[in-house]
Amino acid sequence: MTAVVEASSLRKTYGETVALEDVSLSVADGEIFALIGPNGAGKTTLVRSLTGTTVPDAGSARLWEREPTAVDESRLGVLPQEFSPPDRLSARELLEYYAGLYDAARDPEAVLADVGLADAGETWYENLSGGQKRRVCVGSALVNDPDVLFLDEPTTGIDPAGRRTVWRLIEGLAAEGTTVVLTTHDMAEAERLADRVGLLADGSLVASGPPATLVEKYGGASRLTIETAERVSTDLFDGLEGRQAETDAAEIGAAETDVAEINATEIDARDGALVFEAISPTAIGTVVDVLEAEEIEYTSLTWSEPDLERAYLELADDAEAARTGHSGSLEGELEGQVANAELEGARDRSAEGSR
Amino acid sequence: MSRLGRVRAQTSAGWRAFVRRRTAVFFTFFFPVILIVIFGALIQTDPTGGGLFAEPAAYYVPGYLAVVVLFTPFSRLGSEVARHREGNRFEKLATTPVTRSEWLLGQTLVNAAIIALASLLILVLVVVLTGAQIAFSPLVVAYILVGVVCFCGIGSMLGSYTDSQDGAVAASNAIGLPLLFLSETFIPLEQLPGWFGPLVNLSPLTYFSRGVRAATYPDGGTASVFGLEPALANLGILAVLAVVAFGFGAYSIPRTD
Repeated sequence: MTAVVEASSLRKTYGETVALEDVSLSVADGEIFALIGPNGAGKTTLVRSLTGTTVPDAGSARLWEREPTAVDESRLGVLPQEFSPPDRLSARELLEYYAGLYDAARDPEAVLADVGLADAGETWYENLSGGQKRRVCVGSALVNDPDVLFLDEPTTGIDPAGRRTVWRLIEGLAAEGTTVVLTTHDMAEAERLADRVGLLADGSLVASGPPATLVEKYGGASRLTIETAERVSTDLFDGLEGRQAETDAAEIGAAETDVAEINATEIDARDGALVFEAISPTAIGTVVDVLEAEEIEYTSLTWSEPDLERAYLELADDAEAARTGHSGSLEGELEGQVANAELEGARDRSAEGSR
Repeated sequence: MSRLGRVRAQTSAGWRAFVRRRTAVFFTFFFPVILIVIFGALIQTDPTGGGLFAEPAAYYVPGYLAVVVLFTPFSRLGSEVARHREGNRFEKLATTPVTRSEWLLGQTLVNAAIIALASLLILVLVVVLTGAQIAFSPLVVAYILVGVVCFCGIGSMLGSYTDSQDGAVAASNAIGLPLLFLSETFIPLEQLPGWFGPLVNLSPLTYFSRGVRAATYPDGGTASVFGLEPALANLGILAVLAVVAFGFGAYSIPRTD
């Protein structure tokens, strides 16, 4: 397919800070390309370079093989990050205003409906909720029915239902042939919407490809996380075959294959959690039996498949460690935060299901 | 329709945004009124004595008009540009067909409408409260419009080269206040040190002041310019300065970071 958006060896610095370093990418006609990466990774600078609102120090950005500032603006739709339009205009007036800047524009009323704000058209922007404000801003990028759409964090601050409205809107536009470049911190958003994902870290594009490919390559293995009341030693699972022979098989309840599976698994004991990497779902029962047999109290059990968030954390980990000076696993810390939230809710279910 | 439509969209949005800021509307009109009340009605002029207000009341009409013609564009454009920068609105506009000069023209038209209304109020109050005897010349309208263009251009630069709304307002006050008093508005040239005379000619407001005075107070003794009628000649000079200021003002508006 024809490349609509192209960046070649882009470099951009702000004083001592390198915002972009040798970034090259291309986005094909009708493709959705998601840029992910930590804060300060260079996503916004890259979008600005591609839209002509910043001038790179080196390299080139092209839209339809032309300088971004030389293309017909009516073919572009741009939602800047932290965009704040005039706050004492209503949602409808704002869309009318931006539509009025083009020779041909969509009916603002239809755009309002598209972003789910048909009932809030008369409300001043300053009186809208954070999510509604962002939806108006998304709408402002759509009024001219663009061929290429740049959305810098389009769903930030939007509630889950509203986010899905915006996702469906973007999917619909792409289905009609609109090329979309978006940045996001929401991995579910990137995974659902994007044909390809690019991960920026410290100004460099460290990985790029379809979400499934990135997950397969960097997402790791399936993982079982068990929240325990106390720190548990991984020694508990050493020599499981020997112990199985010495004890009543029914007590442990482990099939030979499961035992072998557990012994082949990488087990990580963290404060209050046991993490089993690359473990088969069939071995979960055996792990639980061991805990039961050892009278180890656990509060929840979480099973997770590899996903884009894991791939992201794997790739972004080094950059974050370099920035913060912490060598600990960002993945582990963030996962711990997520797991804690998940485990609270899962506690009752797992207690019922496991005991 | 293109250019006209874009300016219309800009003007319409700018006008709505302004009139919905009630305090801004109130003080835009209240500021010159309070000055007229203080200077014209409380202090009053004293044509026979000395002091600051020793000229006939009509002499000070350009000064009262200058309060809105100078200060409103300075503060409004300065803070509007700063607000646009802080909200990444220029980044958005840079990717639309609207040009910087169209944006500034839209803002200028909004200011022109506001200032025309405020000027009308000022003229009425000056006549009623101070008893000023002035000639109503259509040139006054031209001076107000050209002055607004000029000071909107400078206001745009203030907003572009300061780093925040607060900075823009502070800069507009710091620059506007000296200009207001040192441009032959309230203080005749004779009351200033001799060496200061040439500096007065650097202020665009001086030409506004001289021209409006020549148009509204023919007995004010406004000097001719190269033998030309002062009311027209000063308008010509102000128009040239307005074109330059508008050009620089539009150019100063950021399109990139």
